Amino acid sequence: MAVAGGVLAIGALILGGSFYLPTGGGYAQVGPGVVPRVVGVGLMLLGVILLREAFGGGFSGVDEEAEAKLPMDWVAFAWVSAGIIGYGLLVEPAGFVIASTLLFVLVARGFNSRRWLLNAVTGLVLAIIVFAIFNYGLGLTLPAGVIAPLLK
Amino acid sequence: MDTWGQLLQGFQVALSMQNLMWCLVGCMLGTAVGVLPGVGPAVTVALLLPITTKVDASGALIMFAGIYYGAMYGGSTTSILLNTPGESATIVTAMEGNEMAKRGRAGPALATSAIGSFVAGTIATVGLTFLSPLVVELGLKFGPPEYFALMVLAFTTVSAVLGESTLRGMTSLFLGLAIGLVGIDNQTGQARFAFDIPQLLDGIEVVTIAVGLFAVGETLYFASKLNQVEEKLESIKGSIWMKAEDWKRSIGPWIRGTLIGFPFGTIPAGGAEIPTFLSYAIEKKLCKHPEEFGKGAIEGVAGPEAANNASSTGTMVPLLTLGLPTSATAAILLSAFQQYGLQPGPLLFESNSALVWGLIASFYIGNVMLLVLNLPLVGLWVKLLQIPRPQLYAGILVFATMGVYGMRQSSFDVFLLYAIGLAGFLMRRYGFPTAPVIVGMILGPLAEEQMRRSLSISQGDWSIFVTHGISAILLAITVVVLLAPFIAKQLRKRKAA
Repeated sequence: MAVAGGVLAIGALILGGSFYLPTGGGYAQVGPGVVPRVVGVGLMLLGVILLREAFGGGFSGVDEEAEAKLPMDWVAFAWVSAGIIGYGLLVEPAGFVIASTLLFVLVARGFNSRRWLLNAVTGLVLAIIVFAIFNYGLGLTLPAGVIAPLLK
Repeated sequence: MDTWGQLLQGFQVALSMQNLMWCLVGCMLGTAVGVLPGVGPAVTVALLLPITTKVDASGALIMFAGIYYGAMYGGSTTSILLNTPGESATIVTAMEGNEMAKRGRAGPALATSAIGSFVAGTIATVGLTFLSPLVVELGLKFGPPEYFALMVLAFTTVSAVLGESTLRGMTSLFLGLAIGLVGIDNQTGQARFAFDIPQLLDGIEVVTIAVGLFAVGETLYFASKLNQVEEKLESIKGSIWMKAEDWKRSIGPWIRGTLIGFPFGTIPAGGAEIPTFLSYAIEKKLCKHPEEFGKGAIEGVAGPEAANNASSTGTMVPLLTLGLPTSATAAILLSAFQQYGLQPGPLLFESNSALVWGLIASFYIGNVMLLVLNLPLVGLWVKLLQIPRPQLYAGILVFATMGVYGMRQSSFDVFLLYAIGLAGFLMRRYGFPTAPVIVGMILGPLAEEQMRRSLSISQGDWSIFVTHGISAILLAITVVVLLAPFIAKQLRKRKAA
């Protein structure tokens, strides 16, 4: 609980601090720095109030007991995260189809599906369909990657 | 030209073969994403924004709007059969509708919600048709200070009225405003908060934020928390048609729901959930069988369903006439307009009257299409609910990452997407509303522009906002909205003490 409040306050502090860099002034006496400053100060203020609420027994209206009944499944969280980060790393070198298939398999695993082969095939078929529609139909350029020679 | 003439002209635009097709595609996509848990209209429209480079403005906007109100139809199907409200606006439908389904009355529940949505959508479109020209006339009198004040009011209502905590709503809004600041300042050309990362100079794309918060955040949350909860899909037994008694009990709630929902949509009060709760409470009071509420009363489905549809159509009034988005999807629609270099507002009705009226006319057509799609063909959509969760969410993420990556061909955006997804996860976990973020990031830069324009007029004198009558009133309302809950709380405390 306090974590969330703390995170927010820190975020707000950084924002608030950095907002002092671009200066105001200029043509209409209101330069590009004014609104950021207002936003920064606002965020800091909100962060402080949130912190107070968090230390005073949690955010109002969040049912912590109900939350506690649903324990956090970090393993699932990690699978899904790995899928997205892996996609970001692979999409350019390996290509869209492969990165998407891998993403599909990892996310499905995060949801406790262990039918690896089925998921891999489903993901592959879906990725190929999406690739075909968006690359040839809508003119988006998705990287072909290692399957590029096959398309020639 | 009078309203009738313009509407007729609009129908000419909307009834062209091409636009009819876009309307149908939008309605079908909308129903599909409304039915599917884990993906909503905001994400769908955001992911489809790239087509704006291929399709003409009227076609694309007709489709996007179709997705928006189509999702309202589809969402009720999921609420009734699965008891997991896809959207906050269908929470009430889930309460009564799911009870009806459990008692083998899924058919009539689906029917009353589809027909109610149709009745409400159509009446609300009539309202939109005749109210818009009036608001446009008012809007033409507004100058920069008035617009700025109006936007400030919209900010506050969207974030303070929605959700259970003004504090968290405001935090979300300010985060959105902060995101909107990133990039090159459009008036001086100075880079702000780009931290020397070239990818940030163009600003953060709304697609990345919407998809990150809604699709990625939702998937992370579902995988790690809700996947442990068993869900039971109710089947549709017997006829889907309503009996004479069902009709009799539904008509009143439909009309009342519409009358409650539409005004709520048009004022920048944000969100379709308040009118649904109001409608539910009123129907419970008026009903001859109040004991049935909580056990599947048809009035409790008919009224709120009509209310949420009417209010989503009502949202179009401030969006089209003043350029004010009051929901996440409306904010993304606004950015779709911007992709074409169009700025919704009073001037749009003059400069692009064929486009605007074509869009309004398409609402009439779309509602008829949706009635057909959601009543006789409801079985088709129920099949979508049978897609197992792992594959469903995996598929959603394939589309999500594709859309975000494909936009600029940059893997930087994918990592940014993940970071935003993490933020979305935390926000979901700790009950921060996400809509204000989207509204803040899109409306923020516009508000800043109006503010600086006002200050240029007044040569830096801030009192311009309070010396202009309308602007002063709007700002005063803002203060009241912000402080009212706080004061009420203090008063109650004093009474209790």
